[in-house]
This record gives sequence, structure tokens and C-alpha cells, in this order.
Amino acid sequence: MIRRLLVIFLILYIIVPLLMPIIFSFSVFWQDILPQGFTLRWYAAIVTRPRNFSALLSSLIVATGAVLLNFIICVPAAYALNRLETPAGRMLRSLSNVLPLIFPPVIIGTALVQAFSRPPLALTGSLPMVIIAHALIGFPFMFRNTLASFRTIDERTLSEAAASLGANLWQRLRYVIVPNVFPGILAGALLVFAMSIGEFEVTSMVAGFTAQTLPLQLFQQIRNDMRIASAISAFLVYVSVLCFLGMTYLGGRIHGGPEQR
Amino acid sequence: MKARRYITEYLFLLPFLGFLMVFELYPLVNMAVRSFFDANSGNFTFQNYINLFTQPHFRTAIRNSLLFASACSLVGGIGGTFVGYIVPRLPARSRNLLLSLYSLPLTLSGLVVAFAFIVLLGRNGILNLIVQRAFGLPRDVYFNVYSWLGLVVVYSFYQIPLMTLTMAAVFGNLDRSLVEAARNLGARPFQVWRYVIIPVLAPGFLAGMSIQFAGMMGAFGTVLALVGGAKNLLSVQIYYHASESTYNLPQAGALAVALITITASVLFLLNRLERSLRPGG
Repeated sequence: MIRRLLVIFLILYIIVPLLMPIIFSFSVFWQDILPQGFTLRWYAAIVTRPRNFSALLSSLIVATGAVLLNFIICVPAAYALNRLETPAGRMLRSLSNVLPLIFPPVIIGTALVQAFSRPPLALTGSLPMVIIAHALIGFPFMFRNTLASFRTIDERTLSEAAASLGANLWQRLRYVIVPNVFPGILAGALLVFAMSIGEFEVTSMVAGFTAQTLPLQLFQQIRNDMRIASAISAFLVYVSVLCFLGMTYLGGRIHGGPEQR
Repeated sequence: MKARRYITEYLFLLPFLGFLMVFELYPLVNMAVRSFFDANSGNFTFQNYINLFTQPHFRTAIRNSLLFASACSLVGGIGGTFVGYIVPRLPARSRNLLLSLYSLPLTLSGLVVAFAFIVLLGRNGILNLIVQRAFGLPRDVYFNVYSWLGLVVVYSFYQIPLMTLTMAAVFGNLDRSLVEAARNLGARPFQVWRYVIIPVLAPGFLAGMSIQFAGMMGAFGTVLALVGGAKNLLSVQIYYHASESTYNLPQAGALAVALITITASVLFLLNRLERSLRPGG
């Protein structure tokens, strides 16, 4: 009995704050303990107000861009580092654990603003700069997930077995490696996407006035209009939850079906 | 010989290394170097670093950041250890549900969390209203989410789940038979804790604490959304010097170097502590 109450409390501890923006976003007003009315007006505002809508588009472009950029840099690197049994390889593998701890977003943001705010590399205030910044924040997570999936399938042994059966590099990639590591890479991509969609800290430092994303709009609306803010917040919660559902599903795929003990 | 064997691997590493060199290493080194030059005249100077020790608002920021990060890590450490201890003892269904839920805050925007806690614990927050009505309290008695204590409560929403994930794995790995074997061999309770349980728990616990402390030293999004610049933290100072009215990039660089130094020192100390807790260490 006590244990059941405790579990319910622990679940509510996460659920209740997450529900706040969602309930708020569907109610006409919420001044007292209980919200009143039902409306979709605040969601409509995201789509119909040009500034909000362009922020939504920017966010989607940035998150997609950050995922693609991470894909290009992390997948080949994880493949290579899984094989490199040299001290340099070991050092690079531990890098992804230490870097984000010592260089948090506020430091990355400051460094990027300083390095890329004047010609020839005047990137700040543009979408590419925001994409690069998000890729930097996301890369440790993408890299760790990808490396882990190369580790768990024991890529080297599998590849050697396939090669001994006469498979060339293309065939090994197409039929052996990619199908096995794909769920892990996709899980990493979802994580990066979710983080990028909600990222505020670095974005607000490098985005300037031109590359406004949804969280930057949310920051203004928390001061101006809580109702618009509630719809943006709720949208960000939906994205997080969807990405996590996807990752849980993929996690089941990676370990060969849902965990059973 | 060896280099030739790994030639494809090194080629595959090029995009990764190139990206990190241009967009992480170069900006960081550039920031550190430029922090030794005056923002206006461009002359070499130590003034940006002298300011850290002489300007009262910088000294307060450093002290506040240390205290705030420690307080949040402590709350997260205790809360997360408690939840992490319970989770492996639950039936599989509620265990998986809890672990999935507790990994959600990791990706959640700091602003969404700020929004949620304004609705819950702001001046007209629901929880405040409920408690006021239930106990017939006057309107000016409420939990202030915009205070230091309020910020610690808000950040626990990140810290406790983060620590829970670490500690659930650690407690899940703690082998009961190890403890029983030690008892059978005649170890007193103190000895079991000192030589068996703590050495098994310590690496995970201290790694979790490192992540929490480092994360909190750099955190500012939720603080900014809740109280603006009203709470003087090192990360908030860096933010304002790098991007707003008090624009002074070399000073922001010096503050950033101070933050990196503090975080790295604390991580180093926690690492040393973990080594000394190992048996025979």
C-alpha cells in the first residue's frame, strides 16, 4: 500500500508539471484552481501569426539540419572509433563524455559568438549558425548512441564473417552493418531532434534577431501572453514525448523485442 | 604498418575531427586568448581576470553559482539516490514506466519547465491557491518560486530524474550475494559498508554528482525565464556579457574560463574521491 502510494507520487512528480502547459493550452482562461472552457485558439495562433509560424518553420529546419549534420559527422566516426584500438582512439571515445560537462551550452555559445561574428566568418544571426550550435550540443548523444550500437552487434566480427563469405564492402554495408546499427542511430537522431527543438540557451546567444526559433518566441511570450506560451510549451512537450516513444520502441528493437525478466 | 592498417578508419574520422576543430576547439581557444585583451583598445591586459576578484558583482556571482550548483546537486543526489534505490525493487511494469518517465526531462526545454512551475507555484499558482484555500491562509503567504529555494525546487525537476537514471542502474548492479558473502566471512556492518557497498555504489554516485554539478554550473535558461537577471549567477553574467546590453566579449571570455576552471576542479576532486574510496585506495 505504502509502496503503491509512493510509486503514484513518483509518477505524478513528472506528469503534473508536464500536464500544466497542455491543460493551459486547451482552456479559454485559467485564473483560479480549475481552468475554464475549451478552445484551440492558442494553437491556431502559432500557425496564423506570421512571427510564430516562421519560428515554427525555423525550429523544424534547424532540428532537421542538426540531425543530418550529426549523422554525417558521427556515423563514420563511430564506425572508425569502434575499430581503432589505439590510445588516440580510446581518448576520442572518452571525449564525448567529458566535453559536454566542461563546456556547457553557455560556454559554447560565448565561444561561437566571439569566433564567428565578424567577416570572413560572420555566421551568427543565421540559421546555419544555429544548426551548427545545435549539432555541437547534440553530438555527444548521437555519438554515444551510434558507438554503442556498433559495440553491441560486435561489428568487426560480423563484418569479417560476411567478408569470409565473399561479401564486398557495399554488400557488407547494405545487408549486414546498416540493418543492425540503424535502430541505434535512429534513436540517437530522435534524441538530437528533441533536444534541438527545445534548445534555448545557445540559440538565444547565436541566433540574433533573424534566426528566431520556437523557444525564443516562447521566452518572449512567457512575459507577454501566457496563453500563446502555453500552446508553444505544449507543442514542445508533444515533440519530447513522441521522440521518447520512438526511442522506447527502437530500444525494444535493439534488444530483440521488449525486455522480459 | 599500423597507420596503414587503419587508413580507412582515419579517413572516416575526418568529418568528425574537422567539425570539432573548426566549431569547438578553435572558438574555445580563441575565446581564451581574447580574454587577455581589452574590449575597447585591444591592448594586452589581465584586467578581465583581475575584475573577477575585485568587482563585487562578479565575486557574488561566483559564490552564488558555487552554492546554487552544490545545493541543486545535493537535492538531486539525495532525491535521485532514493528513487534509484526504489526503482529496481518494483515489478517490471511500474519500473519500466518510471524509468521512461524519468528520462523525459532530459530533452525537455528549460522554458517549458519554467512555464509549468509558474503555473504550479507562481504567485497565483495552483498549488499555492490549493494550500491557501485548504488552510485558510492569507493571500500573501505563498511558496515563492522566484526565490533561491524556488529555483532549487524547479531545477530538482531535472536533477532528481537525471540522478535516478544513474542510481537505478547502480543499485540494479549491486550484487546481493556480495553483501551476504561479506557477512558470512564475519564482516561487521561498518566493514560491509566501507569495503563492499560503498565501493560498488561510489563510482556511479560520484559520476552522477559530477554530471549534476557540471550541468548546474552552466544552467541559466530556466533561471532567465523565471527571474530574468535578478539572481546573480556566473552563467547569467556570461550570458549578459556575451549577448546583451553589457556587451563585453573579452570579459565574458574571462568569466567563461573561470566557470570552466571551477567545474573542471570539482570534477577532478570528485574523481580523486572516487579513487580513494576504492578498497586499498
